[in-house]
Amino acid sequence: MNKNKTGKEKLISTGMVLLFSIIALVALFPVIALVVASFSPASDLMRFGLTAELFLSSWNTENFVALFGGEGGAYWQWYINSLIISAFLIVLSLFFSSMVGYALALYEFKGKRFIFILVLLILMIPFEILMLPLFTMMISLGLVDSYFAVMLPLIVAPIAVFFFRQYCLGLPKELMESGRVDGCTEFGIFARIMAPLMLPSFAAMAILQGLTSWNNFLWPLLVLRSNDMFTLPVGLATLLTPYGNNYQILFSGSVMAIIPIIILFLFFQRFFIAGLTSGGVKG
Amino acid sequence: MEKTIEVNSPKKRRSRLLYSKKIAPYLFVSPFIISFLFLSLYPFISAFNMSFQRVLPGQTQYIGTANFERVFNPTFYTAVQNTTVYVIWTVIILTLVPMIFAVILNHRLMKWTNFFRASIFIPALTSVIVAGTIFRMIFGDSDSAFANQVLQLVGLEPKEWRYSAGTAMFLMVTLASWRWMGVNVLYYLAALQNVSQDLYEAADIDGANAWQKFRNVTFPAIKPIFIFLSTITTINGFRMFEESFVFFETSSPGNIGLTVVGYIYQEGIQRNDMGFGAAIGIVLLAIIFVVSVIQLYLTGAFKKDDE
Amino acid sequence: MKKHLLMLASVSLVLAACGGDGGNNGDNNGGNNAENNGNNGNAGGGEASGEGGELDAEVVVGEDIEGATEFTFWNFQELHSEFFEDAVNRWNEEYPDRPIQLTAETYPYDQMHNNLLLSLQSGSGAPDFADIEISQFANYLQGDVQLQPLNEHIEPVIDDFVDSRFEIYAKDGEYYGMDYHVGATMMYYNEEIMEEAGVDIDSIETWDDYVEAGQQVVENTDAVMTTVESDEHFSFWPLISQRESDYFDENGDVILDNEVNVETLQFISDLVHEHEIAQIAPGGFHHAEEYYGFMNEGGAASLMMPMWYMGRFLDYMEDLDGKMQIRPLPMWEEGGNRSAGMGGTGTVVTNQSEDPELAAEFLAFAKLTEESNIKLWEILGFDPPRHDVWESEEMQADNRFYDYFHDDIFEILTEVRDEIAEINITELTPDAQEEIHSNVMHSVLREQSQTPQEALEQAAEAVRSRVVE
Repeated sequence: MNKNKTGKEKLISTGMVLLFSIIALVALFPVIALVVASFSPASDLMRFGLTAELFLSSWNTENFVALFGGEGGAYWQWYINSLIISAFLIVLSLFFSSMVGYALALYEFKGKRFIFILVLLILMIPFEILMLPLFTMMISLGLVDSYFAVMLPLIVAPIAVFFFRQYCLGLPKELMESGRVDGCTEFGIFARIMAPLMLPSFAAMAILQGLTSWNNFLWPLLVLRSNDMFTLPVGLATLLTPYGNNYQILFSGSVMAIIPIIILFLFFQRFFIAGLTSGGVKG
Repeated sequence: MEKTIEVNSPKKRRSRLLYSKKIAPYLFVSPFIISFLFLSLYPFISAFNMSFQRVLPGQTQYIGTANFERVFNPTFYTAVQNTTVYVIWTVIILTLVPMIFAVILNHRLMKWTNFFRASIFIPALTSVIVAGTIFRMIFGDSDSAFANQVLQLVGLEPKEWRYSAGTAMFLMVTLASWRWMGVNVLYYLAALQNVSQDLYEAADIDGANAWQKFRNVTFPAIKPIFIFLSTITTINGFRMFEESFVFFETSSPGNIGLTVVGYIYQEGIQRNDMGFGAAIGIVLLAIIFVVSVIQLYLTGAFKKDDE
Repeated sequence: MKKHLLMLASVSLVLAACGGDGGNNGDNNGGNNAENNGNNGNAGGGEASGEGGELDAEVVVGEDIEGATEFTFWNFQELHSEFFEDAVNRWNEEYPDRPIQLTAETYPYDQMHNNLLLSLQSGSGAPDFADIEISQFANYLQGDVQLQPLNEHIEPVIDDFVDSRFEIYAKDGEYYGMDYHVGATMMYYNEEIMEEAGVDIDSIETWDDYVEAGQQVVENTDAVMTTVESDEHFSFWPLISQRESDYFDENGDVILDNEVNVETLQFISDLVHEHEIAQIAPGGFHHAEEYYGFMNEGGAASLMMPMWYMGRFLDYMEDLDGKMQIRPLPMWEEGGNRSAGMGGTGTVVTNQSEDPELAAEFLAFAKLTEESNIKLWEILGFDPPRHDVWESEEMQADNRFYDYFHDDIFEILTEVRDEIAEINITELTPDAQEEIHSNVMHSVLREQSQTPQEALEQAAEAVRSRVVE
């Protein structure tokens, strides 16, 4: 269309852009503030909060020197823990959840409906209610303070099963038949023929599961015991307490915890958005 | 060579299994079944069981409904009250505001939509702990902290944000709203894609005003998302723990930051009274169930699409 | 177990898929390449300054000794590791035939207490030694106690000690913990401000004098007389203990709402709202960064805290070096107590120690001997519980605490030695504490939504309602 904008339309357009510029600024302000704060003296921040003077004037790299110098040791261990847990969780949960979702969408079998209802049911039950029994279970299995204990409740994530099922409903069933004619096993059909078609959904779920695990807090807080097993959020939270005196790492470490994610987001925006809005897919 | 011969016959049997269309789906869903049995059903039953016990080192015993009788105390009511207020605010803010934002972003005269969409989405990438840390600095108690300076600039008294019920709730709700706003906008935007521009043009021809267009064209399209978001936000609100933890750790002045899950943590983990903690959890489940049913009823989700 | 079978099953499924690279789902297994960069944790002793504490606070002592018995020790205060490091070295010199290797690990307060509780309950994973903070101690005395009784070592020397420091870690006549300090509560005066206000510190004998002095401070200077805690108990508990009241009586009954306590809380409230000579501590308590900043800039003329708080001055309030004077508390009435024993951390031996006898013997060596009590002062700046060392010569040797404050600290302490009342710790102490922290102080001091009477009655009721059976 080649309509010329009227004056009124221009005004509306400018107004909306202006409004959203403010909204975007508010949304980004805390992130910007965190970066600025990380270049301010940490104990002043704790004592006086983020002040305008700090915001405008300071350019002090001591927090990062501490982080990358000798004092950041445990922080980087937390970083590695978070990376390992997230990576394993992405692989495991994608594998298992996609299988389940795939079967629920593309096979006919007895109990299918019942299982799907169970998936939805678990989606609705807050994890926090099962938290204490699960915790005692981890204790009696001797799994406390292990990566595995952190991952376990997320490995077959109902949200991912649900998402994969919805996605697979849109895949052509005929391809499965031709796979059978070619002599593939049922798993082979899934892995070789159907899974490649599910790639976008894998990407979305990888991001959802990765981010969930990267930011997960309450469960790791329960099952992780030793300093060198902590994940990033649990470790950073220990720095917030008034009795810990390592605020330098708190600020520079917080920045280092989110910047990589934001960079990834800028490259893979589409999948981030698909992943984080996966709950609303309609059947 | 010899090896292949040896394993040949079991392999054949296995093959039949692997090629069976009947058995395959059960193998595929087995991870879910196992996870359901061990990570959902068993803990669920066990939570019920524990809620009737007093769990002490070497001295676990059944104590009837004593835990449940103890649950209904002033501290619990404070926790429920805080959590409820939090739920109400987050549901209002996180369903209505993103709806307005999405409608504006979807407007045909809007520019730079992608940039704005990305900007408001970025908070969702932060963890509560990291986000809360910087919120604490922005809303510091000293008069010179950023938020207080803004207040003074417009002629208001500086506040001690973390020390009174109102401002504490403001901090927690703001933190949650800030993080989830962008995601919810995207839900609405996705739903709005399904509304064809033709409908608006038809409405224009009928002489409909902006509100009528919203009510009759836009809202019906995004209503399912509205219901979905209000349900999810309610459940997440009742599960809230981290938004409080990051401001107050596990104990807040006057319990202004105490939530139901925080109370479970306090009693179950810190005080090591697992039975009591489990009982609080069961009561929470009942609350969520009742609220969800009422909510779905009110939003008409139970009605068949016979309109 | 089922999970493992499942893994096997799925792996074989992958292998059996029609040839080649099954499961090509676009994800690389990026887990293992992150294995480098272990932890470079050598915490090293170093100066006990507070800034930039190590994140991975683990200290290993005696690792070069062959055949040493290996012990682990959990604490929530890094300085305590340093104290034990010294003790192990002394032990190994004195008993070369029974050497010890100690791994001391420091965790955040909550994390350490939760973990310890958990590992004691589950019967595995607990260390040999652990520090348990006084208000948490009751949690460890429930059910079958999983700690080692230490009577054998404590009873012979108990007369040389401020014995109330053992009663707080005891149950049914068994002593389970050894403390680091008496925690004698003192008044820290900022002499500079007091002089500016025209008040002679030594003229303050009673709380009435103190209030009067406070009014002069407020009139003549920019500072307030003192700060009170709204989020913790170090303004309330010492004052009621000074008047020989408590949360519980000796039978363990709740007396939180007795007359003395109500009156005392009213007094604290009056300091803030009636006399207007005190303000609520910035940050809510005396360990908050906000408070350190405020005090360091001369915000208040005095502070009531236990002796062990000296270290915070050195670490966080550098500008007050040479300005602070320590004095006994003002009295409530003529001849009344001038101090109160507050705070405390009991070091325990757990029943999971492989050599509990040696562990207990070492702990006694580290905590009960004269030499060790002198070290408590030298290394940690604590008022050691063994009072017969207070006047010994070693205690007079120059150190950084004397430099910051003044020389006669232990003379003052000796003066008030018999004016420290016992406190009664019960299973419900953590609950009483929680009520004080999160409700009583907040609603009376900050919100002014309840009178002291109402707040304490409500708290007492809440604690009583928790008594099971």
